[in-house]
Amino acid sequence: MTDLSYEAARAELATIVEKLEAGGTTLEESLALWERGEQLADVCQRWLDGARTRLDAARERRAEPDGNG
Amino acid sequence: MSDQSTAEEPWPVRVVSQKIGAWIGRLGWVWVDGQIAQITRRPGTQVVFITLRDPSADLSLTVTAHRDVLDTGAPNLSEGARVLLHAKPEFFPARGTLSLRADEIRQLGIGELLARLERLKKLLAAEGLFDPRRKRRPPFLPGRIGLVTGRASAAERDVLTNARRRWPAVDFRVINVAVQGPAAVPQILDALAVLEKDPEVDVIILARGGGSVEDLLPFSDEALCRAVFACRTPVITAIGHETDTPLVDFVADVRASTPTDAAKRAVPDLVEERQRIGQLRGRIDRAVVGLLDREQHRLDAIRSRPVLARPEALLDQRAADVQALRERAARCLRHRLERGAADVDHTLARLRALSPKATLARGYAIVQAADGAVLREPEQVREGDPLRVRLAGGELAATVAVP
Repeated sequence: MTDLSYEAARAELATIVEKLEAGGTTLEESLALWERGEQLADVCQRWLDGARTRLDAARERRAEPDGNG
Repeated sequence: MSDQSTAEEPWPVRVVSQKIGAWIGRLGWVWVDGQIAQITRRPGTQVVFITLRDPSADLSLTVTAHRDVLDTGAPNLSEGARVLLHAKPEFFPARGTLSLRADEIRQLGIGELLARLERLKKLLAAEGLFDPRRKRRPPFLPGRIGLVTGRASAAERDVLTNARRRWPAVDFRVINVAVQGPAAVPQILDALAVLEKDPEVDVIILARGGGSVEDLLPFSDEALCRAVFACRTPVITAIGHETDTPLVDFVADVRASTPTDAAKRAVPDLVEERQRIGQLRGRIDRAVVGLLDREQHRLDAIRSRPVLARPEALLDQRAADVQALRERAARCLRHRLERGAADVDHTLARLRALSPKATLARGYAIVQAADGAVLREPEQVREGDPLRVRLAGGELAATVAVP
């Protein structure tokens, strides 16, 4: 799961939501789909949080050497 | 004397001299366009000696002319003037010297020179020397700039100062030349050749300040124009003032209006570039942050969809189904029970209706024999048999008596 790219995770999450909303799945399947959906959403969130951290770190590094960017 | 000289039958000097003279004489009369480098009037002779040079090339010829020829055709002739002469080559065997003898000299006035320039301009344009597609772009930031200009001139100062102000680290290779007069063109051609050969020079600036039409003539010289065209290094020209249009300006890869303008075109401005980079950085930042924000919103939107946010909904539906079924079952059961109860009531009523109690209440009695059989006929008993008589209010015992 953790080596899924952001785009892959998001795409699969969208597919799962479509399936659940369409209905017709058994209880067992629905629960399994929901669990996977939650995992994928967590992966996406981790990617986004990581990107923000990198951006902030790069900005800090840039501001340090010459002080005015 | 045979036609060919040989080692065995060489020619004497006088014969060689005479043959040379004959060869030279064959050229005959020619019209010559040249520039006066020197005029010498020897006192006591009628002959004027002129050194006639090519304005574009480093060579000259001696011309002799009678004083009258000069006075008629080109009075007040001075050094540097352009002339048209009609002359014939002469060989002097005594010294072995060559000169042209002119029988007509005309000075080319400014009008004539300018007309010549117009013709040259059309010629060069037709040959494609002014073609914008052939112009090379100077590099954005040159490694080294070649500067051809007058020594200690305002033009030199303007180019160097302004270029260094814009980009302090700029590197120049300066070649000072004459920028007017007969020596200008050959010196400029040399300078261009040197700079073109220098692999570090990646742009050339040719600059001079304002001047009269005559002063700027070298910059309309055909050889100079062709040399600039042939340069693979891009050439920026800044000749005279904004309104001057020497031909080399048309050939140049970039035409600057003044030496200061040439510096601007050659070299970027450090401050401006820093600002641009700052702006671009800002744009990148905003773009990336915008992207992250958008993606975050999309993720939040997906997560808030009910199927993910409230999975209990799956269960709710099924629980509701089960509840409904339960209630149906219960209802059915109740129904059955109610019907059953009703049935029982019904049957009880019928039973009650069939009950002898009502009959007894009406005054009838039930008479039973000893064995419990209900009596309907007198013959069922004999006299003296015990009888049980049931009345509405109770029982009596009796004995049969024959009436």
